[in-house]
Amino acid sequence: MSLDFAGHEFARASLDHCVKCTICETQCPVAAVTPAYPGPKYIGPQAERFRHGLSVDHSLDYCSSCGICTLSCPQGVKIAELNSQARAVMKADHMPLRDQLISRTTVMGMFMTPVAPLANMALGISPLRVIVEKTVGVHRHAPMPHACSQSFMSWWKKRPEKPEGPRGVVVFFHGCAGGYFEVETSKKTIEVLEHLGFKVLVPKQGCCGLAEQSNGLFDRASASVLKLCDDLRAAGKDLTIISSSGSCTGMLKHEAHEIMGVSDERLRDVGTRVRDVMEFLWELHEAGELPEDFPRIDLTVPYHAPCQLKSQGMGMPALDVLGLIPGLTVVESGRACCGIAGTYGLKREKYAVAQAVGKPLFDMVRATNPHLALCDTETCRWQISQSSGVPTVHPISLVHVAYGLSELRQLIPAGA
Amino acid sequence: MKTVVIGAGLAGLVAATRLAQEGADVVLATKGLGGLPTSQGTIDVWGYRDGKRVEAPLDAVAAAPAGHPYAAIGVGAVKDGLAWLAEHLPDWLTGDAAANVWLPTAVGALRPTCLCQPGMLAGAGATRVVIVGLARLKDFQAALIAGNLTRTGRVEARAITIDIPARSGEADSSALTYARAADEPGFAAHLAAAIAPSLGSGEAVGLPAILGLHTPGVGRDLADRLGHPVFEIPLPPPSVAGLRLNDALTTLAKAAGVRVILGSPVTGLKAEGDRVRSVTLASAGHDRDLVADVFVLATGGFETGALALDSYGTVTETALGLPVRVPDGDLIGADYWEAQPLFAAGCAVDVSMRVLDAGGAVVHPNLYAIGGVLAGAQRWKEKSGDGIAVGSAMKAVAAIMGGER
Ligand SMILES: Cc1cc2nc3c(=O)[nH]c(=O)nc-3n(C[C@H](O)[C@H](O)[C@H](O)COP(=O)(O)OP(=O)(O)OC[C@H]3O[C@@H](n4cnc5c(N)ncnc54)[C@H](O)[C@@H]3O)c2cc1C
Repeated sequence: MSLDFAGHEFARASLDHCVKCTICETQCPVAAVTPAYPGPKYIGPQAERFRHGLSVDHSLDYCSSCGICTLSCPQGVKIAELNSQARAVMKADHMPLRDQLISRTTVMGMFMTPVAPLANMALGISPLRVIVEKTVGVHRHAPMPHACSQSFMSWWKKRPEKPEGPRGVVVFFHGCAGGYFEVETSKKTIEVLEHLGFKVLVPKQGCCGLAEQSNGLFDRASASVLKLCDDLRAAGKDLTIISSSGSCTGMLKHEAHEIMGVSDERLRDVGTRVRDVMEFLWELHEAGELPEDFPRIDLTVPYHAPCQLKSQGMGMPALDVLGLIPGLTVVESGRACCGIAGTYGLKREKYAVAQAVGKPLFDMVRATNPHLALCDTETCRWQISQSSGVPTVHPISLVHVAYGLSELRQLIPAGA
Repeated sequence: MKTVVIGAGLAGLVAATRLAQEGADVVLATKGLGGLPTSQGTIDVWGYRDGKRVEAPLDAVAAAPAGHPYAAIGVGAVKDGLAWLAEHLPDWLTGDAAANVWLPTAVGALRPTCLCQPGMLAGAGATRVVIVGLARLKDFQAALIAGNLTRTGRVEARAITIDIPARSGEADSSALTYARAADEPGFAAHLAAAIAPSLGSGEAVGLPAILGLHTPGVGRDLADRLGHPVFEIPLPPPSVAGLRLNDALTTLAKAAGVRVILGSPVTGLKAEGDRVRSVTLASAGHDRDLVADVFVLATGGFETGALALDSYGTVTETALGLPVRVPDGDLIGADYWEAQPLFAAGCAVDVSMRVLDAGGAVVHPNLYAIGGVLAGAQRWKEKSGDGIAVGSAMKAVAAIMGGER
């Protein structure tokens, strides 16, 4: 495979804007903790000049694709995108079985849900995890999702249909994790939207292909994302699409186009209509349409904005929205990355790097509130929960509490 | 009052923080980090004028010719800005606004600046110095620096090289990697042990600026251990000294309540009558309108793409399409090291920092421009860019909060 797909043309066109200012190097969380990765400027714009469509440097695989380099580049160079593309080429002929397996999020969910107690037990057994590490290459201590015994869709289907709300209709996109593992987050998002007076539609939907994309499986990922666009478009024309899966939202908004070069009217249509749920609430606030008679919540919690949310270039809407709740102090982590970067931190050879990347965050989280932390994306929540020991939930959970739809003690155990 | 500041360089960070401190609601929208991480980590006000060294930078500001940004900014705002910086970044900036100091550079020249970092100060006026190189840090060549410093005739310098790894398994480490290592306890002691045997009495010790990224006082610790004055010399990017200022100012802005939107460019504005109603932010997926009462443009110059020159010789302001003032005649001269007329291009402003059109009329009463985007200076050659950024930010904020809209 050579680098001759459309997305590469686009990223490569940004290459000559690199003035070697090294700002990306100063922000890279991986280069900060290991000499195995020489840094985004080296591996990105610099190595790219020597690639001629081929792959030249295996340290490239240590890039976690967090995207912080692209985000902080003052010249608009698509550094992370160049790296992701070159890695896809590098791995094309010998894609590890492990990377093919862990990128099939939906399949994992479908298999685990019916046997949730068993699956959770199995993932908790350390000898089994050692075998998995040795054979498949998933680190024995890597965070694993907790299977739910009911998928989001089966909950949704059993629910009586709500009448048309006064605010019109929106579409909900749950994402794979929101469909099988983080079902609570999906439910709460829908309940908040309905509380605000929206009628929510949930079309049958597949995977956005993000995990396949980040593992370099571009063909599969491109097919997945377009199939998802068809699914979401089927719900209705011009409707706002809302998601509580921050990273999948990023895939639809820009990553599928900028990294894989998917140029398709269906993707463009969905990408412009999709909103992260906290972004959507903040847009309502800005328009003066968000009810804000919140009760006091006297609480201090740490909040970590995940890389894939930051790279959407919209600031931190969760901080903005939660800032409207009196008494609530939300402390932004100020740390670059939790380390997991989708599936990066699961891998046997990357686990230690990912833990070192996340360490300052885990310390900050524990020091801020040992009982509750907030983060918008699923794999980051699993990583933070597992590595800091602090239960980590989506920020919508506190909005849910603030609207009286649940109680704080359901998030924080009594006496804590 | 709702405000939007565009750009997170020195100008944008100071303006956003000041506005938030004054009680405004502030969004700081920036497509990337600003110029501070590539800077020397000092605050230049005016270093060279007509080829001569400036001793008293504020006097130079007071005598700025018409059309120079300082003529609109005035001495008061520059002074206020320097005082504000020294007050808010006490760990990282010090100095006497009335007089420049001369600090050794990474090529062994002596460079004028106004405020500097406390750890650099011992380099000003030192007459006998040892320059300490690190074998694994290629951006700091001790022999070159010592040789050139000696050639200035003001300093007697010699070089030594020590080998202390920043982290194991790395033969070629960046200044940043060293600085992170120096943030850890114990590093200063290692350095002291390696340097002490080579020192003669009365010598000051010059090191690359790697003595801690976020920990002030590593240099002081080292000086105490050695019993000699120690000074840092800032390096080319990744500049630890510049990063310190960038990180400290960014933290200050966030603590003051500034909402930062990083990673999206501003691509245009929507006006209502002569007032700007919103600017357009090209974020992933869809454009969004940032609606506010007041807007501050702090996008920098050609180096950030805030100004652009096309093949017809036309200069444009790229974020909002504002009028630009361009010098007459050739824009680029033959001598690389001379002032280039092109760099004086930019937005013209009134004494409130509101952008003016070719006829000298205010374009939008609620739109201000500050920092590198202003017309009339040769910032890199005059060494005036930092002072212009800080002074114009203070001036604009005073005008905005004073109600001059
Ligand atoms: C090579 C060189 C050497 C120099 N040397 C010196 C020196 O020795 N001393 C000195 O005093 N000055 C020097 N200068 C000048 C000095 O760097 C600048 O004057 C100073 O950095 C300006 O600060 P600023 O905040 O205005 O802009 P910058 O620090 O450039 O910041 C601009 C910000 O705006 C953002 N931005 C740009 N366009 C958009 C957009 N469309 N939408 C959103 N955000 C945008 C950028 O991402 C960035 O965050 C030098 C300049 C150059 C180029």
